[in-house]
Amino acid sequence: MTEAVHTGMAANILNYVFPNDLHVHWSLMIVLYPYITGIIAGAFIVSSLYHVFKVQDLKPVSRYSLLFALAFLACATWPLLNHLGHPERNWEMLITPNPTSAMAGFGYIYSLYAILLIFEVLFIYRPTMVALKAQSTGKLKTLYNILTFGSEDLSPRSIALDKKIIAFLAAVGIPMACILHGYVGFIFGAVKARPLWSSPLMPVIFLLSASVSGIAGVIFSYVLIQKYKGRPVDSKCVITLSKFLWGAFIICFTFEMLEIFQHSYLKTHHWDMIHGLLWGPLKTSFWRMQVGICSLIPLFLLGILIIFKVREKAFVFFATIASGLLLLQVLLMRWNVVIGGQLMSRSSRGFTTFHPAFFEKEGILPAILIMAAPLVILWLLGKIMPMWEDNQPSTEPTTRT
Amino acid sequence: MQSYNTHVKRIVLLLAIMALVGYGAKKVLTPSTFGEYGHYRGAAIEKEANRPLKHMTNYSCKSCHAFEWEIHEYGKHKTISCEFCHGPYANHVKDGKYVGRLPVKKGLEIKTLCIRCHNKEIKARPKDVIKTIKMPDHLKSQHVREDHICNQCHHVHAPLRYINRAKKVLGLLTGKEAGNEGR
Amino acid sequence: MKDVKAAINKDRREFVKKVLRGSIAGSLFLVLPMGGEGSIQIPEQIPGIRGKEYDMSKQRFAFIVDITRCIGCGSCCVADKREYDVPDGHYRTWVERYIKDFDDNVYVDCPNGGLDGYQKPRTDIPGKIRDTFFVPKLCNMCERPSCVQVCPVGATFKTPDGFVLIDKDYCVGCAYCIQACPYSARFLNPKTKTADKCTWCYHRVRKGLLPVCVHVCPAKARKFGDLNDPESEVSKILASPEVITVLKPDMGNHPALYYKGLRREVV
Repeated sequence: MTEAVHTGMAANILNYVFPNDLHVHWSLMIVLYPYITGIIAGAFIVSSLYHVFKVQDLKPVSRYSLLFALAFLACATWPLLNHLGHPERNWEMLITPNPTSAMAGFGYIYSLYAILLIFEVLFIYRPTMVALKAQSTGKLKTLYNILTFGSEDLSPRSIALDKKIIAFLAAVGIPMACILHGYVGFIFGAVKARPLWSSPLMPVIFLLSASVSGIAGVIFSYVLIQKYKGRPVDSKCVITLSKFLWGAFIICFTFEMLEIFQHSYLKTHHWDMIHGLLWGPLKTSFWRMQVGICSLIPLFLLGILIIFKVREKAFVFFATIASGLLLLQVLLMRWNVVIGGQLMSRSSRGFTTFHPAFFEKEGILPAILIMAAPLVILWLLGKIMPMWEDNQPSTEPTTRT
Repeated sequence: MQSYNTHVKRIVLLLAIMALVGYGAKKVLTPSTFGEYGHYRGAAIEKEANRPLKHMTNYSCKSCHAFEWEIHEYGKHKTISCEFCHGPYANHVKDGKYVGRLPVKKGLEIKTLCIRCHNKEIKARPKDVIKTIKMPDHLKSQHVREDHICNQCHHVHAPLRYINRAKKVLGLLTGKEAGNEGR
Repeated sequence: MKDVKAAINKDRREFVKKVLRGSIAGSLFLVLPMGGEGSIQIPEQIPGIRGKEYDMSKQRFAFIVDITRCIGCGSCCVADKREYDVPDGHYRTWVERYIKDFDDNVYVDCPNGGLDGYQKPRTDIPGKIRDTFFVPKLCNMCERPSCVQVCPVGATFKTPDGFVLIDKDYCVGCAYCIQACPYSARFLNPKTKTADKCTWCYHRVRKGLLPVCVHVCPAKARKFGDLNDPESEVSKILASPEVITVLKPDMGNHPALYYKGLRREVV
């Protein structure tokens, strides 16, 4: 293939896409799926930093980040179910999972992770919920009774047992979160027919970007919620989270660029297509948006905040902006990988196009609804389980808003 | 009756019940022929094997259309399937009963159909496989009007049938071709 | 044939069903019932399939596409679309046209998958044309199929007789197999909402008939046959010193679809 194809000049005559490659089968829903599981894994890691690694600065968000993960976990399968041609057959994934399929394990890994996360939340909240049960009546009381498994024992012995179980679950949860999301990366990395995906770096990049999106999601939503509620933001917590965010993102971004550099240096026959893709259909969404605006700006912004002495208020303000940009960065990365990989025809001679419609089954509106759902669920969870350390029922029983 | 670990016991019990129900569901819901040959439903093979046929072979036309079949079978077009030009057998006969008329190409449709294969402009066609012609040069060189349809000279089922017969009458056929009865 | 006639008279409807299922073993003819008493006997196109129990574990089939013979008429594509009611815009088989100029530029096109044939020459090629040819494509029936490897539920599988098929009643429609196929032979059928692809006309082969694309090919560019039969055309071609190759050998899928006279530009 000559260089002419990349200039666009000759693209219309050299551009040949296999007839079955004109359709992009993995659409917006499959962009959201790794995004959501990434946020789950990342937010869980935040809570584990406190529960396992005893990073005391993160105490204010230790409970919130778990609920944040749980809310997204509740919706992780929605984009998949909406994507399936036969969602009513989803149980087959659990009944007859194909041992050689990278996708078949998802049902089991996801279910195990869900069980782990739910029980960690229940154990952490047990003392709180026992107190809330005493204050509530009717259906709410029954709910708390179920969620505490009918136990009201808050004796030191019982609490000590809970603490051990929590530590165990949080510790097991870290490799589980890594498996959950590294595995999602492997679903893509294992597809040898798609040169942009098939790379052993794919699970690593997915895992690192999962941490980035989870930490960024916690910072961004924590600051916004506190501002909205008119409560003080714990700037020490935000600073510590930002340091972790910066560190995770430096490694993540390095691997992302390394992947491209490796392709560009090897210059195999795949490079012509990857080059054509990144400087063609993905030029805006990859170079300008993902790399330019959403990676370099937060990278330098966080660096300046962390290295130089910045007033705490300014730190929180700019860290929130950087977090917002990084949330967008990860979403763009999912888009560029999932959609970008499919834009390259396996003819090695051309690119197809993809423009999601607003109202279609896997269009923009369902995507917005699916992304909004975890926020609604989080709000509902907050009604039952107080998210913040400062409004636990023991100190202030009436703040269940 | 409540002890410090009541809730833990209950949780373990719940998980055990869930695991049992899951295992039971897997046993009950796994399709019966699953795993017969491999990690799939064995019955799916027979289902695919029993897919109803839509196309048959040229022999399926013989008993009713013996005359056309005979011309086609011994002509230059014998490798062309009846069903390509006329449509699949299943649209014509089902369970031994006539169910519908198959199309017969007429007029310009015939020309389009001929040109689909015989157009010399498409250079990719190997010469030893197919004889190609250029329109309207072919009509000019044969000294016929340019609005002639191919089947005015060529029998669609055996394209050289009339031509070779005419050549024979005029004594232009030699050797092997002459013995061919001009099919 | 006496017992066949008796069977027809006994329970005509049941007989017709059996015939269409191809389940009358022992008969060398595929018998089509006709109006009245008559019946048509269709001879085998693949010798050795009928007349005995079909043992899946003992079959070896190969498909050979002869690039040097394809005339790009698109008969195969038309027959395939009719046999399977393939929805518009999706292709179980297609025919590509390659044009190569003296500067080694390669121009490929495949308007409507070749369904309308190639009726007009390309006029948008600036250089002098060196070589031009057609390449039919279909399922490669890999020895090591990527689609089967990735299917999460076991809805696509390789049969003991070497066919990669899809269980349409079990497929969840996740499209992972479509991503994994290096040959883009698969698509998501919008009618059934399941994966779909070429089956090498498994239902015809089991009845001793050639895949419909092979049957309708006027140029004999598509060949299908039994590798257990040393007299079959495919056996002879594969045993000959002809240049035989497969698509994308570096993918490691080991296709059972061979190409004769394939040029290096073809992917």
